[in-house]
Amino acid sequence: MYGVHNLMFFFVVVYHVFPPELVESDEEFQQSLADALVDETDFTVNVRLAKSLPLPVENEESRPRIDLVVFIINLTSELSFQSTEASLKYLDPGYFLGKVCFMATNARNASVPTERLDAVRKLAASLHCPLLFAEDQTPDGVANATERLLTILKVAAGLVPMATPLYLSNLTRCTVPLDIDQPSFD
Amino acid sequence: MGKRDVQICFRFGSGTPDMERHRSSGARTPLNSALVQRRSRSKSYRLSYRSCLGAASRLGLTPALTARRLNTSRRAPKSHNISEKVSVEQLALLLKKEWKLSYVTPLYRFRHTQMRGYSRQLSAFIAAEKHQGLAVDVEAAQGSFRASFSVIQGMTETDDDAETILIQIHSKSSFPGQDEPQRALWSGWLTCVYGNPEYLNSLPKDFTCLPLFCSSGSEVLTNAVKSWFQLTFDCCFGPLEISHTSLQWLVALWTNCHAECNIQHLKMIWSVPVVPPLQITYTVDGQDAWELWNSLRRDPQEEGEGGKDEEAGSNIDIMEVERFMQGLKGHFYRHFRLDLSAGSLKQVSTALGLAKCNGRMKISNSKYMIATLTLLTECALLKMPM
Repeated sequence: MYGVHNLMFFFVVVYHVFPPELVESDEEFQQSLADALVDETDFTVNVRLAKSLPLPVENEESRPRIDLVVFIINLTSELSFQSTEASLKYLDPGYFLGKVCFMATNARNASVPTERLDAVRKLAASLHCPLLFAEDQTPDGVANATERLLTILKVAAGLVPMATPLYLSNLTRCTVPLDIDQPSFD
Repeated sequence: MGKRDVQICFRFGSGTPDMERHRSSGARTPLNSALVQRRSRSKSYRLSYRSCLGAASRLGLTPALTARRLNTSRRAPKSHNISEKVSVEQLALLLKKEWKLSYVTPLYRFRHTQMRGYSRQLSAFIAAEKHQGLAVDVEAAQGSFRASFSVIQGMTETDDDAETILIQIHSKSSFPGQDEPQRALWSGWLTCVYGNPEYLNSLPKDFTCLPLFCSSGSEVLTNAVKSWFQLTFDCCFGPLEISHTSLQWLVALWTNCHAECNIQHLKMIWSVPVVPPLQITYTVDGQDAWELWNSLRRDPQEEGEGGKDEEAGSNIDIMEVERFMQGLKGHFYRHFRLDLSAGSLKQVSTALGLAKCNGRMKISNSKYMIATLTLLTECALLKMPM
């Protein structure tokens, strides 16, 4: 069995670019998610948060291996999706073989237009990556999201026998319903 | 920590630099090719998927209306002298009031000829509810309630739409001899404007579709009326919110009317997710908004359409709406370094009306109300559980 001291690095990326005097409130979810992940006792999980890619060049050499990159998209904000798309270009293609995951929050919010949700699903489906939906307002929601992320993370880090990240992503990848390109209403 | 409120009013410079920038960013990208590209990509994607279909696709989503999305292109609103067709008193009841929106599923065996009967039944129902201990305002507690149903003729445009129904609840005052023109305690109306003809024709014969329900008055009475409808016509009510895309459409549609009817100002309220919560009120002068809108509409069309100016001018596409919003947000960013895309649009208002994302709206001018109601009817039909 694998020892207790296996290290996994887990990247959580969040996007908003505000003028420096404004403090973002979305960071709460990322923070609580990160805290919950670090609390995991079987393995040591290191979480790094970033606002966008590419990562700063300074500590390139000393940076440990990254097991999973999670893009958190807040569906109520257009900017979230746009910056995710922009950051994807900076990610090495090797990651897309099972080491990238999308997490969407606020999907149930009524002000979210269906087109945005469609666009996120199409993006995740075209990259063959899983798309998770998380509820970030309650501690239960965060715990739920953490659990599901850990499942993917364990496989991505190679800690589950007989399962490789590519295999798992094949099973869990986002699919787009066949009629998603339906003609518009009239 | 309290909320911070920021009010910003803008007058765009009358010079051309803003316009030039918008024109050049106004995307020479021909609209069609992007669409074609997307389709072909997804088709090949679907083919490769057939071998390992995801579970979701196999669950067979009913293709009917669940997969449909809001129209991507709309007719530009024309000034409608609706007071020619609808009586002025009835119109006055609808205008200048803030309504809370809900969607309603089709009504079973609803007859436009039985208004009196329905009035009596609803009054009796409310009296019974009150007997059972329904909480009421102190002032109305003395008298009982009198409901009245009426049909508002002339609001429908096509034969498929059912006529609009207006419901009012007055309090029967215990003092006879009071002046008759009393204000209604509660009013509500059901309407269907330019509903999707395919859907309307697919309904079985006994069903009447009036998907948009607007109510104004105490919550208690609203619930009583809804319960009565649910019991009598086997229908279902639900809250109707106005999504971000619909609010954007209203921004564009209302600004488009400026040529014929001065919208005075375009006011948008955005909420930005920071700590403490920040609400930004962004007001643009009506004339400036219209010039920006106009400059975005003319350019690509002259290039692509050639001589089809007349028809092209009457159709507004979602891409133009998005470009318009992008222009407004870009202007804001240039001044404040804050990208409004990071926040969410909560409210839109012009001299023609007001719309909030939580499902409240107000119509201030009857001339363009058909266009607004068409959009809202579409939202209601899409939100309705099929």
